[in-house]
Amino acid sequence: MDIPQDNSIVSPQTFPYMVAAFASLVGLGLIVSVLRGNHGTPDGDEPGDAFTPLNLKTMAIVATAIGLHVILLEIAGYVIAATVCFWGVAYAFGSRKILKDFCISAAFALIVYFSFSKGLNINLPSGIFEGILK
Amino acid sequence: MGNNFAMLLDGFQTVFTPTNLMFGLLGTFLGTLVGVLPGIGPALAIGLLLPITLTVNPTSALIMFAAIFYGAMYGGSTTSILLNTPGESGSVITALEGNKMAKAGRAGAALATAAIGSFVAGTIATLLLAFGAPVLAEFALTIQPAGYLSLIILAFATVGTLLGTSRLRGLVALSMGLVIGLIGADLQSGALRLTFGNLNAIDGIETVTVIVAIFALASRHTMIKASVLQINGKAWMSREDFKRSWKPWLRGTAIGFPLGVIPAGGSEVPTFLSYGVEKALSKNKDEFGKGAIEGVAGPEAANNANAAGVLVPMLALGLPTSATAAVVLVAFQSFNIQPGPMLFQTNPEIVWGLIASLFVGNFLLLVLNLPLIRFWVMLLKIPTHYLYAGITTFALLGAYALNNSTFDLQVALVIGVVGFLFRRFGVPITPLIIGAILGPLSELYFKRALQISQGDWHILIAGVFPKVIYGILFLVIIGPLVWNFKKQFAVKK
Repeated sequence: MDIPQDNSIVSPQTFPYMVAAFASLVGLGLIVSVLRGNHGTPDGDEPGDAFTPLNLKTMAIVATAIGLHVILLEIAGYVIAATVCFWGVAYAFGSRKILKDFCISAAFALIVYFSFSKGLNINLPSGIFEGILK
Repeated sequence: MGNNFAMLLDGFQTVFTPTNLMFGLLGTFLGTLVGVLPGIGPALAIGLLLPITLTVNPTSALIMFAAIFYGAMYGGSTTSILLNTPGESGSVITALEGNKMAKAGRAGAALATAAIGSFVAGTIATLLLAFGAPVLAEFALTIQPAGYLSLIILAFATVGTLLGTSRLRGLVALSMGLVIGLIGADLQSGALRLTFGNLNAIDGIETVTVIVAIFALASRHTMIKASVLQINGKAWMSREDFKRSWKPWLRGTAIGFPLGVIPAGGSEVPTFLSYGVEKALSKNKDEFGKGAIEGVAGPEAANNANAAGVLVPMLALGLPTSATAAVVLVAFQSFNIQPGPMLFQTNPEIVWGLIASLFVGNFLLLVLNLPLIRFWVMLLKIPTHYLYAGITTFALLGAYALNNSTFDLQVALVIGVVGFLFRRFGVPITPLIIGAILGPLSELYFKRALQISQGDWHILIAGVFPKVIYGILFLVIIGPLVWNFKKQFAVKK
């Protein structure tokens, strides 16, 4: 880390070191606790509830949908990015009516786009609809 | 005291303009909406709407947030009673008796006692807030940096260890929050910390991004399985119900408010305590577990009074101790207003407007909610996959609109994944948010204290105030910890 010349009494490194020490301590404590068999209870479950397996598939699809949103936002514009994201998340949570979902996604994206850009004057990228959606 | 009363009247004057009333009304509507919908609590609702701070004036926006704050709690009780699916943590206890009452055809009475109880508790607690917070703020002006540091450490400890099922996991979440808070340029020296050469990270990670990502992208997506119970007749209560409810309302307020002022870890504790008290004092003990109205009235009042109590340290000290208070703090900061002892002097019109709008919002909710209950119930029929798709998309919009930068969205994605794993493995998320917000503040006070003392670390425990706070810390946190450990050890032997 580059430390600029300064005359302050406390170096900018002091506090981060304290945080690092604290984080290492509790992290180590957690490792010990997990190794001793305390695996944690999913949020909202009571201790002793049936074990819920980690749903990696849903998480992966949701993460992909969000990732696509980030990539598409400034290339293709808000409406397309939001449609893709909405549609993807709905799919991840088990909706299989592809066409109906698409229509709802597009409608949602358009409503949000217009209410924010017109109603609240918050600029969202119009992307490939530049000039059409204005 | 008389002066505060005049200020409060000025506050009402601020609220009673057509624009502000409209924002208040919109807030009550949105608040109830998000309270009813599972998966969105008041913290996320306000977080999602933070982009409006870019264009709406501070007073109107804060009035709307205040209305959302109370509205979400009203809405939460509705889902608890009719669905047995608490919308937020403070309504978990309500579901115990409330859902039983609904099953026995007494949904109307349960909803009514929850709504009126919330109104009574909210009004009393807001009065206490209006007259208590300025007093606390005046006292807080005398607190030295070292004293502030001790208060923040106490907040860290209580939020970190009292929430969730595992103290250790709470502290892990807190430490992650502190690390997030370190990212960016050091305020005093300008040294870049944890930016890894990324220019976007110099300004640090936006708190809003953290909140939105962790609440919306990582929310536990449970599907609603139970069916919505029908309301027979009007949502109102009989004279007998009223007689059985009014004392629990007042007791709930008495339990909820103080536990909000001192950071005692979320709204579960006071609601649980209130439930216990009502069960112990009730003449109809056999009804508990089968739908006792006292078991709805008390905890619902405690829940609302607690929420108002949390605003006291938030406004007077600038110390948020719940996720919702943290978001309200961020809303203040986005208008370049720093809550704390000076707030009542520097921005009286805003803070008194906010307090007045809490009264108004509370009243609007009472008037609007019971008649509209059927409409809210209809909302519960939205398929959950569309609901989550909407929440996710909207959350991303909130994260993006703040700086018009996709860097914030990338951060949101990473934090969302972390939050998802947190929830899966029982790590509470509020300590992370509190850590990220109060971490930089604690460093500031830490440095100020040491600058005053020219680097002598003894200043951190000098004077009466820090000693008292650290004493409390020891009694409340470390004491029980040691005691538990001893007990475990004894059992093992």
